[in-house]
Amino acid sequence: MDSGNNQIEKMQTENMPEKKSSRRDFLKNMSIAAAAGSAGLVVGGCSGTPATEKMGLKWEEYFKKHYRLMTQEEKDATVTRLERLAKLERGINVQISDQGPHEQVLFGYAFNISRCKGYMDCVEACVRENNLDRRTKTQYVRIFEMDPGQLDPSAGDGQYHHEVPVKNKFYMGVQCFHCENAPCIKACPTKATWREPDGIVVIDYDWCIGCRYCLAACPYWGRRFNWGDPEVPKDEINLNQHYLGNRMRMKGVMEKCTFCIQRTRKGKLPACADACPTGSRVFGNLLDPNSEIRFVLKNKKVFRFKEDLGTEPKFWYFMD
Amino acid sequence: MSKFSYAAGLLLGALAAVILISQAATASGSPGSESVKDRIEQAIEPFDSLKVTTAYPLPVKTVEAKEQYQGGSFKVLARKDQITRFRCSVCHNDKMVKVRNGALFTHSDIQLNHGLGRNQLTCNECHAIENRDVLVDKQGGQIDFDHSYQLCGKCHFRQKRDWLGGAHGKRETYWAGERVIRNCTSCHNPHSPAFPTKMPATYSLPLDE
Ligand code: SF4
Ligand code: SF4
Repeated sequence: MDSGNNQIEKMQTENMPEKKSSRRDFLKNMSIAAAAGSAGLVVGGCSGTPATEKMGLKWEEYFKKHYRLMTQEEKDATVTRLERLAKLERGINVQISDQGPHEQVLFGYAFNISRCKGYMDCVEACVRENNLDRRTKTQYVRIFEMDPGQLDPSAGDGQYHHEVPVKNKFYMGVQCFHCENAPCIKACPTKATWREPDGIVVIDYDWCIGCRYCLAACPYWGRRFNWGDPEVPKDEINLNQHYLGNRMRMKGVMEKCTFCIQRTRKGKLPACADACPTGSRVFGNLLDPNSEIRFVLKNKKVFRFKEDLGTEPKFWYFMD
Repeated sequence: MSKFSYAAGLLLGALAAVILISQAATASGSPGSESVKDRIEQAIEPFDSLKVTTAYPLPVKTVEAKEQYQGGSFKVLARKDQITRFRCSVCHNDKMVKVRNGALFTHSDIQLNHGLGRNQLTCNECHAIENRDVLVDKQGGQIDFDHSYQLCGKCHFRQKRDWLGGAHGKRETYWAGERVIRNCTSCHNPHSPAFPTKMPATYSLPLDE
């Protein structure tokens, strides 16, 4: 097994960020210099007033490692800190998971273009599940209204707002396709985005520097950038979160569909697939010959968007 | 301070990008002969879905399906306890009905729109005349309401084949755990099975790039 795919595999899932991480050291040195200048900063202080506790937690958060270099203890520690910070800053009791991938699982998706009616229940479910910014109306999932014969969503209408389905139109959903050979991963200078062993392309929000190279590299409009701090009404925040998934993002970081990592690693369908009233969305384990997604790949006419780019999306379109 | 470090990070990122891009040019190469498709095709060992123990509890009442899919037996959503006035024989029996209850008892709320043009179905093509508590097919075979796929599949056999395999219909809540899928009547109104025309749940703004 010394094929090209393995090389990709190495590049994208094994090649860890280097220990002598320059970004971290650089920032650390800088901040220590800054801290030396401003007197009396509490280091690692978890006692005292909420304000000092918050400051201490933030300090520790600031110097944590890249997620993939953390030991399990370090992962648990940052999760605990983030949960506490959510309590102190927003007054909410979030649960942040650091659950890893299942063995023998590779997630894949199929979208039935002859069934989708353009209802957009998926879009709305995703916004709620993943705590997407309501102010700028961030959406991971887009639905395009298409004329017969078109197969490129950029030729369709992504901003329709009328009763659906319209006669003689069809509807095509687009989101991050979790490419096996993902250009976004290659573009990232800080290795803040990578492909997990179960195939999900994730972002370490705390490691992203907001350069947006990945957004430019993605041929599928898969990525969304936070120009401001995302806003979600307190009572609408989904408290079941994952470190690599729907935990609250911040200003200046990239985000995108994670196949609802907080749901799918627990065995649930992604929110979009669960919400679809027409059954146009098929999700499952590509490595399981009995799965629904494998049935689709085997028995239906399937195609992938911009197949010739060699990005190997794990998202297929099919027809009845 | 945060603004300063953000800018510094950007600068560093740009530097690192230059280094990494030059590295990538030598390291990555083109995707080789083994694509993800090959990897998928080579995976022939069934995955033990039951070991994903978090794929429970099931939020709905289910029954064991009377057919098999590629992975063996599976379950479907139960139907009978979704029918508010089941059992039908509570009304459909020998007893007289008072005139003032007539409107309530005549299913006047049901709009029948199933089948094209002249082939519109009538009540008793699916509902048994003799026994209102079951469905009936053309040959007179009785079919339980919980297993309506056995009746629907008589005409819609292509859809049924896809439904059994997983290309039509959908799983309930979980991709893992026991296979539980929706019944035909979970999504389609059997009296008017086409999906309605309606306003979408939301709308989209243009992407900023
Ligand atoms: S669709 Fe875009 S963002 Fe998603 S993995 Fe592929 S290149 Fe990356
Ligand atoms: S925006 Fe973030 S994830 Fe994207 S390339 Fe830059 S650092 Fe990497």
